[in-house]
Amino acid sequence: MTLTLILEQTFNGLQAGVTLFLVAAGLTLILGIMDFVFLAHGAQVMIGAYAAAAITQATGNFFVGLGLAIPITFASGYLLELLIIRHLYRRDHMEQVLATFGLILFFNEAIRIGFGPAAIYSDLPPSLSGFVEILPETPYPAFRLGVIGVGLIIALGIHLFVSKTRIGAMVRAGANNPEMTAALGVNIKILFRLIFATGACLAGVAGMMLGPLTAVQSGMGEPLLILSLVVIIIGGIGSVRGAFVAAIIVGLVDTLGRVFLPSILRLFVEQATADGAGPALASMLVYILMAVVLIFRPTGLFPAKG
Amino acid sequence: MTGLLQFFGLIHAGIRDNKLLWLLIAGFALFPIVTHLVDLPFWNDVVMRIMLLGMAAMGLNLVLGYGGMVSFGHAAFIGIGAYCVGIGQFYGLMNGWAHILLSIAVCASLGLVIGYLALRTTGIYFIMITLAFAQMLFFLFVSLEQFGGDDGMSIDRAEFLLIDLYEPLRLYFLIWAMLALVALLLMFVVRSRFGVTLRAIKSNESRVEAMGLVPLHFKITGYVISAVICGLAGTLFASWQEYVSPDIMHWTRSGELMIIIILGGLGTLAGPLLGAIVFLLLEEFLPVMLGALAPAYAENWMVLFGPLLIMVVLFGRGGLVGLIDRKILPRLGRGKTAVK
Amino acid sequence: MKKLMTICAVTAAMAAMPAMAETVKIGYMTTLSGGAGIIGKQMQNAVNLAMQHKGGKLGGMDAEIIYADDQRKPDIAKQLANRLLKSDRVDIVAGVIWSNLLMAIHKPVTRAGNLLISSNAGPSPIAGDQCHENFFSMSWQNDQTPEAMGKHMQDAGIKSVYLMAPNYQAGKDMLSGFKRYYKGNVVGEVYTKLGQSDFQAELSALRAAKPETTMIFQPGGMGINFVKQWKQAGMDGVSKLYQVFSVDGVSLPALKDSALGILGTQTWSPDLDNPINKKFVADYKAQFGGYPSFYAAQAYDTILAIDYAIAKSGSKDTAKMRAALATGDIPTTRGNLKMNTNHFPIQNIYLRETVKDADGVVTTKVISTVFNNHADSYAVNCKF
Repeated sequence: MTLTLILEQTFNGLQAGVTLFLVAAGLTLILGIMDFVFLAHGAQVMIGAYAAAAITQATGNFFVGLGLAIPITFASGYLLELLIIRHLYRRDHMEQVLATFGLILFFNEAIRIGFGPAAIYSDLPPSLSGFVEILPETPYPAFRLGVIGVGLIIALGIHLFVSKTRIGAMVRAGANNPEMTAALGVNIKILFRLIFATGACLAGVAGMMLGPLTAVQSGMGEPLLILSLVVIIIGGIGSVRGAFVAAIIVGLVDTLGRVFLPSILRLFVEQATADGAGPALASMLVYILMAVVLIFRPTGLFPAKG
Repeated sequence: MTGLLQFFGLIHAGIRDNKLLWLLIAGFALFPIVTHLVDLPFWNDVVMRIMLLGMAAMGLNLVLGYGGMVSFGHAAFIGIGAYCVGIGQFYGLMNGWAHILLSIAVCASLGLVIGYLALRTTGIYFIMITLAFAQMLFFLFVSLEQFGGDDGMSIDRAEFLLIDLYEPLRLYFLIWAMLALVALLLMFVVRSRFGVTLRAIKSNESRVEAMGLVPLHFKITGYVISAVICGLAGTLFASWQEYVSPDIMHWTRSGELMIIIILGGLGTLAGPLLGAIVFLLLEEFLPVMLGALAPAYAENWMVLFGPLLIMVVLFGRGGLVGLIDRKILPRLGRGKTAVK
Repeated sequence: MKKLMTICAVTAAMAAMPAMAETVKIGYMTTLSGGAGIIGKQMQNAVNLAMQHKGGKLGGMDAEIIYADDQRKPDIAKQLANRLLKSDRVDIVAGVIWSNLLMAIHKPVTRAGNLLISSNAGPSPIAGDQCHENFFSMSWQNDQTPEAMGKHMQDAGIKSVYLMAPNYQAGKDMLSGFKRYYKGNVVGEVYTKLGQSDFQAELSALRAAKPETTMIFQPGGMGINFVKQWKQAGMDGVSKLYQVFSVDGVSLPALKDSALGILGTQTWSPDLDNPINKKFVADYKAQFGGYPSFYAAQAYDTILAIDYAIAKSGSKDTAKMRAALATGDIPTTRGNLKMNTNHFPIQNIYLRETVKDADGVVTTKVISTVFNNHADSYAVNCKF
């Protein structure tokens, strides 16, 4: 276990965290501002991945795929809000959970009908298939560096937008007190719709980034959804800053925990027990973290509603 | 003597006010006669599953519908109940009553601990922390190799003195009796001072607090009762399936229970049972219907189920019980079916 | 759930000859809906193809297949098994992809006096101390394939290996089966999260350990993710990749060229040179577009086995079919299959490489035979 390895794993954790942030950012705004439990956010990831993969296959160019998939996911989020989501704002959480659960089933199955149940082919764009040596003798896939870059740029963009622009101020006001914001004359309906569509778009971008790296298949967004829920809980609902911090923490804990926990355990218990318990504990780690955070800070680290 | 009369009076009043619930339970008791007449004994199996799911849903409904706590963790209690049977049998404990006592003890204690930790939060935070606990328990059981891990354990039906569960219909009526008991228990709980307070907490917690009561105590108690009921459903489920595995406690199973409750009618006694019936019938017939209409897409029946759920949420206020109250009963010229 | 798509036998109108009055009913349970539906679909295709090849008759009797979709849930599988037995009154229950589902229905079906034939799942309890004479496997016992990989590596003198599998029962079985035959240096034994999609961290750790070879078991989508990321991280220059059950007819269409050169062991390969297999693969490709997976081949073999059992015993009575199958010598896509005392096959296990065929489609090719007539390790514990 060398320093180089630890540094490399930290880097991996950062990449995982940044990807998580893309998914969590939209979710925390939707949950924080509209108080809407949008379980089908993972489906947005899937839609983005499929759109990009399909267009890339058809045109042969990854960046064209990316460029066209972004407005497609934005539109899908916009339409979804317009047609279904806005009718559910006044319902209680459980009904929202069920309705969005139904959406998940629908989207997963629709994708299966449209593209077949098998994973579709997606691969790295040739221009980004190389390696960059981030540390001595540590080649890191260039594409993943690109993912980190994109994620950080978007994070910065959101931060500037939310803190420096007027619309951003409306978003922050909406997160803090939706009723008052509406009373102040802000067209809350359009605001909600745009926030929703943007959140969907961000999740879609995460999917587009993940497509070349992983299997593009039905249901690919669900594991990310669960993790992002954990992220926004830890970070505090409605807070994009909280989502960023929490996403990085969760990414690091999950990654470092997975690779180092069995070895750490071996220092305390015998090999066989460590090998058996290590992976189980590693998969629970993120949930344990969340439970601990909630016990001491029941509304997360940076709650938007002061 | 007067105490006994009062007790029966209460039961009579309870049955009178919860006609739909007891109609369904009576229906379950008479169902085997129907299957015998048409020689389709397989359907007893489906109804046993309905009764078990309904029982678990009624347990969850106590905290969900009446208490307003959206818990994704209750499938874990079903699983623990089932594993009490499985692990018990692994160590040679075959007695069904012992399994039940073990299940009550474990689920009550675990429910107390998890309830105490989780109920410090509310809203979406509560949802997530119950999900977290459910996941942790799931991963725990997946990692327990000596109990089969995720391959599970094949087990025998539990042994109850004087009742051989392998004889036809014995298990059916055991489940039925347990369901009736649970229904009776919940009927009392809901109408008692405890139940009224729980419902008051759901609608306005601060007002209850202002009255000098501690909402947390009531919520935890409700949580524990619901955990025990789910555990009971789990023990009988293990005997029915003759197999236990961590699949039973996956959080998506909690989602299924929620679907059942909301289909039937949140916060009603009969709702979970109605919901279980509809849910399992849909599971049976939706693929068949789709297969008849568009055979090439028969496996994609979930593409219909999703929108169905959405429509139930959008248009089905109060679930099926609400539908019956609003549409069917006025036509029959009667009042409401159940105390809400 | 239960898809009432019954493939009916030759119709009465065509029965010019005096037909046998009996019809044999087979309940075929597999996962048709949901994420794993692709596997069930392939198996269903194969079963339909087999019925086609046999003209709708098995062993001379009219045959009816009732497909049942278990949705990968044990309680639905249990309910379906009950229905198939009590309501549809099938003679044989067959299929079953997943070990946990097989564990759930094993007792009810075998105790009811019906044959249970597995087209895929092969958990060790059913091969060992919980065995039952009414059960037959037309696939393999879970440990056999990794055992072959272990033996190959041992015989090839490979000095070190890094093992990786998901943290569930099958994953643990695979690696323990491997270690039963490989006595070299196991540099690392890593259990990943079930359903994990990003292995970058594990690959980093692997690179630091610098093992000569890496052996993985990552079925389904996990395999697609792993192989993709392995190639993207340039790991071929660090270690040589071996696999069991991770690169197959289901995942190859998504992996394409990135899977080329990877070695694995398996009881079957599309290029096995015998008449039954050649016909199966050719017709499957023609009708369904693309190579069949081992799931499909095993499903096909299941129907062939039933055909053989009825033909040899002359009846569909359970005891008689059982006797016929137990003696083995069943004609399948793997040649004539022998049966062990616990009713699991004794079969060859081959080393296969992922290559491109003459049309440029990626498939696997047999390189050598690792085991000839390999029996599973649990038969000693099985006493009927």
